[in-house]
This record gives sequence, structure tokens and C-alpha cells, in this order.
Amino acid sequence: MKSGSSSDRWLALFFLAFSILIVFVWIPLDTETGLVEKVRRKFVIGDALAPTITGVIITLGAIMTWLQPSQGHTFTRKNVIWILQLLAIFAISLIIMRYTGPIVAMGFEGGGYRPLRATPPWNYIGFLVGGTMMIGGLIATASRRLSIRGFAIGFATSLIIALLYDMPFDDLLLPPNGDV
Amino acid sequence: MFLSEPVLGVPIVVIMVFGGFLLGITVGATPGLAGPMAMAISLPILISVFGFSNDALLPVLGFLIGIMKGATVGGAVPAILFNTPGTPDAYMTTLDGYPMAQKGEAKRALRIAHFSSASGDTFSDIVLVVCAPFLAILVERYLDLPEKTALLILSLAFIASVIGGSVGKGVISMGLGLLAAMIATGEDFYPRLTMGQSSLAEGIPIAAAVLGVLILGEVFKSLEDLHRTTQSNTMSQVASGKSSALSRNDLRRLLPYIGRSALIGTCIGALPGIGSTLAATLGYTTAKRHYANAKPDNAPDFGEGAPEGIAATEAANSSVSGANLIPVLSLGIPGNAAAVFLILAMDSIGGFNPGPSVFRLGGGIGDSVMNPEMVMVFGIFTAMFLANALNWTIGGIFMRLVGVMARIPKNRLLPIILLLTLTAIYVQETSMLAIWITIFFGLLGYVMRRVGMSPLPFVIAFILAGNLEATARQAFAATGADPFFLLKSPIAFIFIVLAIFVVAYNLRRPLS
Repeated sequence: MKSGSSSDRWLALFFLAFSILIVFVWIPLDTETGLVEKVRRKFVIGDALAPTITGVIITLGAIMTWLQPSQGHTFTRKNVIWILQLLAIFAISLIIMRYTGPIVAMGFEGGGYRPLRATPPWNYIGFLVGGTMMIGGLIATASRRLSIRGFAIGFATSLIIALLYDMPFDDLLLPPNGDV
Repeated sequence: MFLSEPVLGVPIVVIMVFGGFLLGITVGATPGLAGPMAMAISLPILISVFGFSNDALLPVLGFLIGIMKGATVGGAVPAILFNTPGTPDAYMTTLDGYPMAQKGEAKRALRIAHFSSASGDTFSDIVLVVCAPFLAILVERYLDLPEKTALLILSLAFIASVIGGSVGKGVISMGLGLLAAMIATGEDFYPRLTMGQSSLAEGIPIAAAVLGVLILGEVFKSLEDLHRTTQSNTMSQVASGKSSALSRNDLRRLLPYIGRSALIGTCIGALPGIGSTLAATLGYTTAKRHYANAKPDNAPDFGEGAPEGIAATEAANSSVSGANLIPVLSLGIPGNAAAVFLILAMDSIGGFNPGPSVFRLGGGIGDSVMNPEMVMVFGIFTAMFLANALNWTIGGIFMRLVGVMARIPKNRLLPIILLLTLTAIYVQETSMLAIWITIFFGLLGYVMRRVGMSPLPFVIAFILAGNLEATARQAFAATGADPFFLLKSPIAFIFIVLAIFVVAYNLRRPLS
């Protein structure tokens, strides 16, 4: 997208297309009742009415944005690259968080990870490793410098958060222990 | 779960207000953190501690109210000492606060900020206690289902139009919030708009959407800003200077400015959607106009270290925090991000539905039974005045201690907040999918900020959507399926005309 008002015009076109998609494709295909239904000889509002009105509201917003584009806000390729960087950090750290515990448990315990998921230190393993990766990765990306200190902060923070939730509350599960 | 019993003879609510207030000042004094962010992170932890019982509501709300009030006071600290506003609404405080600090009057500037802030806050709370019940009674007496539907439409139209620089983008943001809230809701057995995904059949968790858009979106944006900024973040603190108490003469000179700003801030706080930043700006500019006519000889101008500038800004931004509960308690409509988290707490814990019915005298069973929701409201009022008392007594001392918070590097602080938020979501939802949904809404919040679209209409629409649809359905049924039910009643008609007018009027105003 380009700078200034042309960027807003693209935004308006995007939301115009999105609202048309909502009203004419998504809602008809994904709601079971219409705009208005007759139930026991009485008319009642159907499940499609509110989303349809919402689609119309988004259309109106897009038209207003088209007619009165503002200056100074642009969404550039750099922003897209930033989103991809963030997604990569989250994907890697959350996958590590999800699978580290079960993989380590496979090597030490025959019964697998599930029976151990609420038992220290097993319940901390995935969270600590994944949390360290997430915080360390984000600090490195924000400061454009990979540092051991960033990962050390990540580890210390993950440990404090884990203890904060796990020590006082028996019934709370740290990520990812509710999914394994 | 913790019991809501006194600790060492001190009621738990008092302890929670105290803790929240201290945390609020601390986060307010930390640039990059703001009151709503601390409220968002604290809420899931508080719910984990206190559970979902009726006894939990007041301690949790007390803590959140403490944060809300403390953060506006704390925001002035780095504004005065480091020329960096701790919260956006303290920007105007830098204009006169930092020049005063440079002249060696930092402690005096902090005292003025504290006195003005505490005064504005107290005034606003008094207005809340007096006005909210009357407004609620008026709403109950004169507004039936069509009028209530129209009032919700008017509120959403107002919020979408006045927040941010573009009405069109505000309306789109509101539309997206309504759409997200409609996923998997409705009255039919089939969960609508789920695209057949069983993972969406329960709907989008409210905490995931709200925290994602408001907190993660801001974290992603701030981290990118840091990523793009190459210069190091150096902050130099000016010398605090010798202690300088405010004389009676000082107070007499400042009080008119504080009074005017408190009134401006309270009026703005009572309107949904207009935040404390605008209140501070209006308070400052109004004071500047008056100061031009009444300036004593040899006194510094506004922008060069005038104490009146600090007083006007701090009184205005602090007086928003009480008044913003007027629409919350009397109408059930959150006006700003802090109010969103108070409503979220009420919604998550249950047993209290903010709206005009909370001020009914009877408990619904018999006239002799007191309405428990009204008792709760007065508990909330008490918590607010307690936070006020803390502000007057220890607020100033604590404020002078938290200057060091501005030195915490944001590039380390923000990832920590992010992990804390995601963990808080997980312990509530116990699903990695909820984490991914939060990240999705975080990215949405990030994109919204980048294209100049305010995320607040999204969040408020998301919260109000269920109530709006339910009220509209009931109104339609109650009027015998009259498709024009919003136009038949004069009050509803006026609300709808006002909603159209407010959008059209703001559309004509020049873009900021």
C-alpha cells in the first residue's frame, strides 16, 4: 500500500469487499435461520439479521473511509514482514512449549507425559523452555541483537510466572498441560 | 481459593484497594505500561485467586479500581522527572512539569501534580455517587425495550465517531467487534458463523478478544517501534531539588484551575468513548486561555514551567476515573479501556449485571429484601473513596519513590507482559487454541493501530453486542413484530436521530 489517502482508499476497498463477502456468502451459508422467522405463527428475529446489519455497518464505514481518507497512516511491506517475524517466534516457541515435556517424558518415564502433567518438575518443562524462547526471541527481535541476557530474562520470568500460578493453586494448569 | 476474610483484622477489600493503588502508581510511572494493561494482566490472576463466588467481586473490583486511580497519578512522575509521559494522558504534564524540574523544582511539581490529581479524583467520585443513581432511575422509569435498544445504538455510534481521527474507521472497528461477538451466538441450535469449526462452537472467549486487541496489539506495535528505532533509549533524570511544600497562597492560585479542569474531566469522563487524554488536552488549553489574562508579573508562561499547567492537566485526567463509571453503573456501557476491564470483571465473576436495574431498591422477591446489586454498587463507591483517601495520604509519598520505574527498558518489559497475558488466558481457558485466538486478535489490534483505526470501538462493541441483540429481539417481540419499533416511540426516535447526527457531524469535522 502507498502512503496517505491512497492507503485509506485501499483499506476502504478491502472492507467493502469483506462486507459484501459477509452479507452475500458467509451469512447465507453459515446461519440456519433467516433474517426473520415465523415461529408458532409469530414473527421473531432470525440469527442472520444481526450479522447482516453488521455487514451493512462495515459497508457504511468503508464508504465513509473512501469519501474521507485520512493522512499519515500506512500499512507497508515492512509491517507485513514484522507480522511474519512475530508469527515465526510464536510458532516456534509454542511448538517447543507443547512438545518438550512429552518428548522428555518419553525418554525417562514409560507411562508418557499425561500422568505427569500436574507434577513438578514435569509440568514446568514445556512452559519454561517455550516461555524462554518466546521472551528471548522477542527481546532479540526488538533490539536487533541476539543476547544470552535476553534468554536469561526469559527463563527467570517464565520461572516466576510458573511459580506464581503453580505454587498457590492446585487446580490451575500451566500451558500446555491442559492440551496434552 | 482464598477466602474473603479479614487479614490481621483488616478487611480484604481494603488490602486489595491498597495493593491495586500501589500497583497503579507503579505502572503509571512506567512508560509503556498503562492502567488498562495492568488491569488486563491482573484480572485473570485475581479470578484465579478469588474464584467466581459473590464474595470475590468486591475485592477484585477494589483492586482494579485501585489500579485505575493509581495509574493516573503515577503517569505524572516520569512526565515531570524525565520529560516522558508515563501514560498518554500525562503528555501535557511534561510541558510545564519538566521545565519546572529543570529549574530544580521537581519535588514541588510532583506535589502540585499529586494535589491536583487527588482533588480532581475526589470531585469526580462525588459526582459519580450523586449522578449515577439518578441517571439509572431515569433510565428505568422512561426507557422500555425499544428505547434501551436505541440508547445502545446511540452509544455505539457516539463511541465509533469520536474515538480516533476517522469516523469511517471507527465505524469499521465497531462493525468488526459486533461481528466477532456474533460468532457462535444466536438462538438457533446451529452456532452461526463458525464455518463448521467445532473449535469455534463455544464462541470467541471474551478475554482472548479483549486482551488480544487491547494489550497484545499495543505490545506488537511498541516492539516494532523499538525494532525500528536505532538510537539507544537514554533518559536523564533531572535533580529533584529541595523539598518545597505548597503554601496557602499557591493553593489559592491553583484552585480555580483545578476546579475548571475537574469539571471538564468529569463531563468528558461521563460520556462514553472520550478518554482522559482529551480531558487533559481540553483542561490544559482552557487553563492556558485563562492564564493569559490572569498571569502575574514575572510568572513563567504555559510551556515554560507554569504550575497552573500541571494542575490543569492532572486535575482533568484524574477526574475522568470516577465519572467514567457513570455510564458503566447506570447504563451498563463501558466508556473507556479501564471501564472495559471493570465490566469484564463483573461479567467473568457474575452475580452483578451493571445497568439501571442495579439501583432498584427491592431485591425482586419482596420489598423487605434489599437489592444485593445495589449493596454491591455502594461497596464499589466505598472502594473508590478508599482509593481516594489513599491517594490523599500516601499517594504523594509513593509517587516520589517510583521515578526509577521509567528506567526499565521497554524492549525487555513488553515481552514479559506478553507472556504473562498469554499465561493468564491459558489458565482461564486451558487450551492452546485460546492462545492462538489471542495472538490472532493481537495481530488484528496491531494492524488496526497501524492503519489508524482505534481498537476501542471494537472492544466496546464486542462487549455490548450480546446485550444489544438480546434487547432488540425482546423489543421486536414485545411490539408484536413491528419492524419500525425503533421509530415508533418518541424517545427511541430521538436517540436514533441523534445517532445519525453524531456520525454525520463528526464526518464533517476535519480529520486529526
